Amino acid sequence: MTAAALFQSALASLPEIVVITGACILLILGQLVRKGQEHFLVWASVAAVLIAALATLILSSEVRPAYTGMFIADRFAVFFKFVFYLATILTFLLSRKYADIEGIGSSEYYVLLLFSLSGMMIMASATDLLSIYVGLELMVLCTYVLTGFLRRERRSNEAALKYVILGAVSTGIFLYGVSLMYGLTGTTQLDGMAAAVTSDPLDPGLLLAVVFIVAGLVFKVGAVPFHMWVPDVYEGAPTTITAFMSVGPKAAGFAVILRVFLNPLVAASDVWIIVAVIAVVTMALGSFVALVQDNFKRLLAYSSIAHAGFALFGVVAGGADGIASVMLYLLIYSLMNLGIFATVIMMRNGNFSGEVIEDYSGFAKSRPGLALLMLLYLFSLAGIPPTAGFFAKFYVLVALVERGFVMLAVIAVLLSAVAAYFYIRIVMVIYMREPERTFDPALTPSVRATLAFTALGTIGIGLFPAWFLRLAQNSVFGG
Amino acid sequence: MVFPLLSLIIFTPVAGAAVLMFLRSDDAVRWTALAVTILDLALCIAMLASFNTTTHEMQFTERRLWVPTLGITYALGIDGISALFVFLTALLGSICVLASWVAIDRKLKEFMVSLLTMQALMLGVFCALDLFLFYVFWEAMLIPMYLIIGVWGGEGRVYAAFKFFLYTLAGSLLFLIGVIVLYFNGGETFDILALTAQDLPFPVQSWLFFAFLIAFAVKVPMVPVHTWLPDAHVQAPTAGSIILAGVLLKMGAYGFLRFSLPMLPEASVYYSTLMLSLSALAIVYGGLLALAQDDLKKLVAYSSISHMGFVTLGIFALNLRGLEGGILQMFNHGVTTGALFLFVGLIYERTHTRSIADYGGLMKAAPVYTAFLALFTLSSMALPGTNSFVGELLVLSGGFAANLAVGAPAVFGALLGAAYLLGMYRKVALGPASVGARFKIRDVNAREMAAIVPLAVFVVWVGLYPKPFLNIIDVSVKHLLAQVHDKGSGQ
Repeated sequence: MTAAALFQSALASLPEIVVITGACILLILGQLVRKGQEHFLVWASVAAVLIAALATLILSSEVRPAYTGMFIADRFAVFFKFVFYLATILTFLLSRKYADIEGIGSSEYYVLLLFSLSGMMIMASATDLLSIYVGLELMVLCTYVLTGFLRRERRSNEAALKYVILGAVSTGIFLYGVSLMYGLTGTTQLDGMAAAVTSDPLDPGLLLAVVFIVAGLVFKVGAVPFHMWVPDVYEGAPTTITAFMSVGPKAAGFAVILRVFLNPLVAASDVWIIVAVIAVVTMALGSFVALVQDNFKRLLAYSSIAHAGFALFGVVAGGADGIASVMLYLLIYSLMNLGIFATVIMMRNGNFSGEVIEDYSGFAKSRPGLALLMLLYLFSLAGIPPTAGFFAKFYVLVALVERGFVMLAVIAVLLSAVAAYFYIRIVMVIYMREPERTFDPALTPSVRATLAFTALGTIGIGLFPAWFLRLAQNSVFGG
Repeated sequence: MVFPLLSLIIFTPVAGAAVLMFLRSDDAVRWTALAVTILDLALCIAMLASFNTTTHEMQFTERRLWVPTLGITYALGIDGISALFVFLTALLGSICVLASWVAIDRKLKEFMVSLLTMQALMLGVFCALDLFLFYVFWEAMLIPMYLIIGVWGGEGRVYAAFKFFLYTLAGSLLFLIGVIVLYFNGGETFDILALTAQDLPFPVQSWLFFAFLIAFAVKVPMVPVHTWLPDAHVQAPTAGSIILAGVLLKMGAYGFLRFSLPMLPEASVYYSTLMLSLSALAIVYGGLLALAQDDLKKLVAYSSISHMGFVTLGIFALNLRGLEGGILQMFNHGVTTGALFLFVGLIYERTHTRSIADYGGLMKAAPVYTAFLALFTLSSMALPGTNSFVGELLVLSGGFAANLAVGAPAVFGALLGAAYLLGMYRKVALGPASVGARFKIRDVNAREMAAIVPLAVFVVWVGLYPKPFLNIIDVSVKHLLAQVHDKGSGQ
């Protein structure tokens, strides 16, 4: 590799380098920060992400392949990176007070989040099964630790352990698929794979390799049948981390899924049938099991499974509209899901956990403004216009029908009617019950800012989706 | 740039709702809400005054790009059919505010905000000329209506709100798929007029017809998807019932008129017998159920099912008299049933019972109330001289012309209507004064009169001189009919 090529590669991966460097600096600075000065860590982390975002924006003018075809900085990656930045910054903003209440405000918390962010960024840019693997591991290793960050809580420890073991198995399966693929095609590069295969795309060995890779990736987005970890991990992890995981790593998983599944080789091998089945089952399981949940975090875990199912329908549709629909879906889902999580996080104050849905009884009576925000997020998650959640679903359905998958579209909407039930059940608890206690939400300025931003996004994209739609359509890879 | 009158009509209530959020005293909330709805009504009257009744073209049209990459526009416009319902919605809007004046005793501000939002969305549904926009208005109504029933309703309100929400949602989601399929079959546009001009192959029309039917049938509601209606009506506060009966039920029928008939003419002709039979079934079944009710509100609710059966019967008779009668009957039903729900609400505020058995001899205690109740009861059973007589007569003559076999049950349904309505009136108003012993009944006051009189005026006006109303819809209906028969006869 010549110096010039190396420079080009470094330039293409500048945002990743910024984030990793920032994390390393923070690791050292974290030891010097005195007690009571932790807010400095938050702002330093936010600054690191913002610098990376700026770098991404400046470099986004052209497509930059790097590291001999293992990495690419294209618009597709830029779009996803901005979703990750958004998720990470909002998580930082939500964490400040929550970390104090839970006593987890050490510098490692922020450092791990930054490393996890860099992992996700690598995933979005990876064009080689091995660089995908590196990004994936960097991301999940950090989230394993973050899940168990509530050291004194059994739930948290159990969740982390469960996550590590299941995650390791799924990574193993993924790697096995990669090795099979390498054996059959002689390459791990996504572009090279399709060219290397001359035999029938339905070759059983190839199919096996694809199925293993699918299984490994589907685990990360929490789709059936690899969803068992989701409820336990979401419930046990610190709520801020749950919020982060439900958005960031999930979007990263989808970025990889899109790149791998829409590779000509995989696309030719009828994998879409597998994905379609997974999508239907995932959405059905998420929607139906969520109906009987009493714990808010667990309910949101199943809701996130259901949403993963819906986004997978966009993957099934494929094509430019299919890809764009998944991307838009993830952006909108990030906003509304972080919004609803922000309301759960702010309820955690003093000895009050705010994790049981019944805790919100009569919330609208004493806090009409906050209740209205929750109403907005919940109806958006349910997909009722004029919220953004509706447009996200609508565009996925358009992509499905465009490809002739009308039956799948019908299944998708019927299941989302089921899902609507548990969202409006929460609205019912908030609005139609009498309050049993006084509410004292931990409303710091940064939490307020998060709520305002997510609410604005949820209603704004719903009313004026045109710009965001075009952004997603222009960011489809190849474009 | 033409003056955007329709946008103004739609967004006046929204602006009013925004203002309400900053008001503190309940009285200020009441008067502001009333002022906003009256202003909106005045705008609608101004719109009707300059409405051209000699053309079927859309009037007051507005068009702006909304989501250009998907061909979605913000397009508004009205023809004769929608003009009537825009007016009805605005009229019932102010009556709803008056009906909630003291009936809503908690969270009044939030209630009025929901009510005004609801009004804006309903107006939007009738004005939209873009399918996507239409769907957004149509579906967004679920949110305020869910709250109106669920927060301010009676004892079983939560169950009723859920049932209403899920029924309507499931129905309209299939409609959404239908819309998207239509989008790809009709040249990737959501423009209603452009889609109307398309000539779709019969199998596609057939599928779309049923996808639309599910959504519209739930809203109308037609038997057998009517079961949400009694619950929602009984549990909703008075204003909620008036909105439901007066406007929401019309939207299903409006959907048939705006989408099913002109866009899917072959399927509409082909399945008209099915639709006529379902209508006749609704007329008789709704009437029989109403006959058996002891709860005043339930009785009116089931009578709605029966009356909406007349509306769909008229529409799918697919002839001029039937269609004009059906549309006029939609308006009449909004006025009359809205008034009946208002009356049930008024008496319930005083006695806190809706059981017919608890009443009797009201005529002595509240003569003005019973006199107007008599008027609206007679109107509901279509006595000559009242509005429903004109509508029902047209519907029946159109129905008989279309299909003799469904005309007969419809007449039987009309007889049933006389039976349960007169029975109700007799038990409530006449006879010994059983109520006086337990309740002190106050007759209607000035505010209540202000809500009643406009409705009474329309009952008599349409009953004696329906011409202006038929004039508004006439050209549009003829055009619609020509569309159906030109294309539909190719079958």
